[in-house]
Amino acid sequence: MMQDINRRKFIGKTALAGIGLAGAGAVLSSCKRKNNDPRILGLPPILNFAPGGQKLRAGLVGAGARGTGAAMNFISSASDLEIIALADVFQDKIDACRERFASFNLPIPAENCFAGFDGYKKLIAIPEVDVVILATPPQFRPDHFLEAVMNNKHVFMEKPVAVDPVGIRSVISTGKKAEAIGLCVVTGTQRRHQEDYIETYKQVINGAIGTITSAKAFWNQDHVWFREREEGWDDMEYMIRNWNNFCWLCGDHILDTHVHNIDVINWFMGKHPEKAIGYGGRHRRVTGDQYDFFSVDFDYGNGVSSHSMCRQIDSCANGTGELIMGTEGYTNCVNTIWDLKGNVKWTFEYPNDEDGNPMNAPKIPPYVQEHMHLVYGIRTGNYVNEAEQTAISTLTAIMGRTAAYTGRLITWDEIFRSDMDLGPSKVEFGPVDMLFEIPVPGTPVII
Amino acid sequence: MKIRRDSNRAFASRKIKAWLIISGFIICAILLKSGNLIISYTSSDRYCMSCHIHPTADQTWKLSTHYNNNSGSITHCVECHLPPEGHGYLYAKAKHGVKDVYGYYFKDSSKINWERKKLLEVAKGFVYEKSCLECHENLFPVMLSVDGSNAHLFYTTSNDPLNCINCHLNVGHFDRNVIHTHDKNFGVTVTKDITIYTEAAKVDRFENFTEMIPGSGVSFNMIAIPGGTFNMGSPNDEPLRDQDEGPVRQVAVSGFWMAETEVTWDEYLAFFRATGSQGRTEGQLVNKKNVDAISGPTPPWGAPDQGWGKGSHPAITMTWYAANVYCQWLSKVTGKKYRLPTEAEWEYACRGGTSTPYFFEGNPEDFSSEGFIKKLFRPDTAKITSRIIYSLNSSSRTEEPSFVKANPFGLKNMSGNVDEFCLDYYSADAFKADTVELINPKGPPRGQERVIRGGSFKSDAKDVRSAARDFTRTKAWLVTDPQMPKSIWWYSDCIDVGFRVVCEADSTIK
Repeated sequence: MMQDINRRKFIGKTALAGIGLAGAGAVLSSCKRKNNDPRILGLPPILNFAPGGQKLRAGLVGAGARGTGAAMNFISSASDLEIIALADVFQDKIDACRERFASFNLPIPAENCFAGFDGYKKLIAIPEVDVVILATPPQFRPDHFLEAVMNNKHVFMEKPVAVDPVGIRSVISTGKKAEAIGLCVVTGTQRRHQEDYIETYKQVINGAIGTITSAKAFWNQDHVWFREREEGWDDMEYMIRNWNNFCWLCGDHILDTHVHNIDVINWFMGKHPEKAIGYGGRHRRVTGDQYDFFSVDFDYGNGVSSHSMCRQIDSCANGTGELIMGTEGYTNCVNTIWDLKGNVKWTFEYPNDEDGNPMNAPKIPPYVQEHMHLVYGIRTGNYVNEAEQTAISTLTAIMGRTAAYTGRLITWDEIFRSDMDLGPSKVEFGPVDMLFEIPVPGTPVII
Repeated sequence: MKIRRDSNRAFASRKIKAWLIISGFIICAILLKSGNLIISYTSSDRYCMSCHIHPTADQTWKLSTHYNNNSGSITHCVECHLPPEGHGYLYAKAKHGVKDVYGYYFKDSSKINWERKKLLEVAKGFVYEKSCLECHENLFPVMLSVDGSNAHLFYTTSNDPLNCINCHLNVGHFDRNVIHTHDKNFGVTVTKDITIYTEAAKVDRFENFTEMIPGSGVSFNMIAIPGGTFNMGSPNDEPLRDQDEGPVRQVAVSGFWMAETEVTWDEYLAFFRATGSQGRTEGQLVNKKNVDAISGPTPPWGAPDQGWGKGSHPAITMTWYAANVYCQWLSKVTGKKYRLPTEAEWEYACRGGTSTPYFFEGNPEDFSSEGFIKKLFRPDTAKITSRIIYSLNSSSRTEEPSFVKANPFGLKNMSGNVDEFCLDYYSADAFKADTVELINPKGPPRGQERVIRGGSFKSDAKDVRSAARDFTRTKAWLVTDPQMPKSIWWYSDCIDVGFRVVCEADSTIK
């Protein structure tokens, strides 16, 4: 334990503006000596199962599809793990989630289920809850995270971790508060827990593609779900049921999904970009106030840029992933390194399945691996806290979004300190007095 | 035999040597032990206070959070005023010790300017940031507020040099005037029971008048400054002059009115109440040309008046931009043409017909406290003291205009009290350029910072000379403002700048 506390102090004192150990990784990359020690590189452990230990009881805040999935991932990551409480704005979401758990013979007591906007507070107040899983729309994450840490709970939280800079600063501060009292925090940026990505990262850190010169990140897909308004829904209920289409709740899809790719580029670069210029627009969406596509140039300084693009339109050239170019080769970040002529220099060897056929994914799905990491951290004292790292990547996406919405050059300093605070001042059911204008680049917008 | 004697002698001398070494060890041990004792004895609060006879230091310390707190822990003098051990502790102890012993035996403590020691820039010399961080290891305690978290995030990520006491100046010695929050009630209450003016002063002749601000009970005197020519800048032989004050050239200015005093808090708060905006966005959308919708300052952080009092004290810490919006607003409500003075107008008005270093007789070197000798023997300041508020007579704060005599034009505090904004951009060689205008000059067409003139209560005698020039330092004056964009209304880190208005005399004036 002593060693871990020292390590934390070390992190605290050396972390550069929040990139944490990824920054240390970048420093190490300049050394010629090969280094594969995951702890020094700041990499999470790759586990086949999390160690046993004290029983851990979790409460789920946000019992929709991803929340229910995350809760399932959590209990399958080790022995002696339980979901004992649920909170959601809507009772029907709680009921559905509870039924699902009951079907696996995992009953959740009704008195531990809380509907409404303050349900999370009641859940977090339960003394038996050791871990809180936060999976609501990201608008609410900063408040939920703070409440959890103030009540001494370990946290798993989904990405993105906020929708605006005010929320981002809150998450970073809360992360530091958690660190000061030894609460573990893991976030849902599962690529960082994915064995193939981790092994590729080690190759890159040890010079397999030379010095990084540019990058590309993309998440281009068909249109995503939306809900039309139903009778009896007031403004607030409608927006939350259709949260994926309102910027103040979702942050737009450059945060919601593309943040995964942006996070990988930040991780491999060992830093966040200094500024961004971007385009975006809306042609196909039916509801809400968000864009259909973004194209952003993230400038990492010294002439190194990452081209970030994301689109949600049917029947287009689609695909997701990353590509990083170096002076001696390039990589898709997930499993392959090429030299500059396009010859494969290295590939990640996937394990064989039960029938002896090679798989195309690591043995443990990353969605489970991340929970194993959390349980491992809590049970062994190998401290983990990903709040700041994921907040930085989310803020990178917010910088890109703002660049596209406004048409302006947005710098890191500007977005880091911005007053932007999306959403109504009071979150409650009923009519909402907000204008949902689609952002038009070039018009004066205060960020 | 001979050999034996030799060996005997050698044996004896070895014995002596051994004793010498042993006693040496003992002496060293005693010295070391007593040295440690001396160091710890001379680091006790009692020892500190046996010499440090500041009138209030120990009371304010006992009222501060570093003594009077719920946890019952007490932070001792040396825990803040010396660096932690291993960070130059002994060196700093020796340095401060020599200085303090000298001060104790050779200085008159009643003449020491204790107020000045409270200024941030002075305090940085004897409060060690490493010592703050030695105890305050966790900058993010769980109960830290949102504002506190933001400020500490800013501190840990800022590239600008930031010291804990930039924000927490009064945590070691309590100061009841300090407000550590956004002061949303700032200037909201009208303290005086007064009649409200419905009309501004009517002026059709070029003579002194008293302006009345409609909608408020505030009035102020405007002095008619007749046009004329004067020698602007300082001659090469003026003592303590700077290069940017020359060459001297003859400049003509047209007549104008100038406010008798620096803009007071009463005046500035009339503006603040009439135009103040609660949100930040409103302020940023101010259209410079659209005077119909003047949007004024946002609520300030803390107490812009520093707790020194408002009323007729000069208003301070507003930005150059805010001072300009004030002039636009004042013009609008009075129907006259108020603005900041040009640098030429300012110096012409300050000199009041004199061409000497000050508007009265005197050699700057005689009033200055700069230089080693001057520090030893405090200069005789009787003559300057009745006319200029500066470092040696100010108690390190602003004073009301009644404190000083006027200059030959009847203007008060042109020199000293607070620095005053001018319209001109600053350039060090503004006077050297071939294209310098000689009739109503307006300064360089472009620039970064604006001219400020007159020096302040912090200034040495050198910087309150009529020709002394200075300029705004936008970045440094906003260093602890954690907002982005930073405030356009209030400087977070400058407490000695204000301004004075002039009124243009147009063709309708006889």
